[in-house]
Amino acid sequence: MNEPATGCEFVAEPPADLASPEFASLYAENSRAIYYLALRFLGDPQKAEDATHDVFLKAFRKLDQFRGEASFRTWLYRIAINHCQNLCRSWQDRHVFSNVDDAVWENATAKTDSPLRVLETKELGQRIQKALDGLSDEYRLLLLLVADAELSYEHVGALVGQSPDAVRGKLHRARKAFAVLFEKTA
Amino acid sequence: MKQQTKLSQEQQQHAAEHQTQQPAAREFANAEELLRYDAAHTPVPPAIAQRLQKSTDELPQPKAAWWKRLLGGTNS
Repeated sequence: MNEPATGCEFVAEPPADLASPEFASLYAENSRAIYYLALRFLGDPQKAEDATHDVFLKAFRKLDQFRGEASFRTWLYRIAINHCQNLCRSWQDRHVFSNVDDAVWENATAKTDSPLRVLETKELGQRIQKALDGLSDEYRLLLLLVADAELSYEHVGALVGQSPDAVRGKLHRARKAFAVLFEKTA
Repeated sequence: MKQQTKLSQEQQQHAAEHQTQQPAAREFANAEELLRYDAAHTPVPPAIAQRLQKSTDELPQPKAAWWKRLLGGTNS
């Protein structure tokens, strides 16, 4: 399993009446995780809001198809990933650096073994978004999924169609690429 | 004695100013830790739940007991 979240709980206040108390509870437990994935994957708060609504509505419609083989969170992530990737395919003008070769990150000079230092948290979200936007879709998605402490490498691998070992290997390169880009945003 | 007290006050003031000028850096071991922190400080817009409520009100309720399967599967 991944390291436990440090001060991060993916739980929001349940809405008063959302179709049923059970669905409201599931929304409360999972909405932050899905919204955050959509926000940082799409890079647009309004699109993330629309996507989160659409993902939960799709889940509500397909609840009878949920077989309980994976956690509800994993099932939701699968819907969200498909939804966000479909949206991204229609945006040709985004992800300027998405074709940057791994060699660029390998040759980069950022000290990726050093911790990421942040002096000012006020504009942290914008810096993170800029760094994520410079990554390929694959690396961006990988980092966002691994950041959810509820997901093991096995879960992440199942969601991105990779083995857990492949996830670990790519995660190392994704971390390095992120560190290089994040350093540039300072 | 009075001189010492004055110096001490100046030192304290200097230390306080130094602290406000240089906020403590927050360190994150890796990208995921930074993203977890960011996620924890990113609220979900309440408008989503309101829109979702309207949308689900227009749909038929899911088949009975679906949530029992979900609750059984949420901990897997």
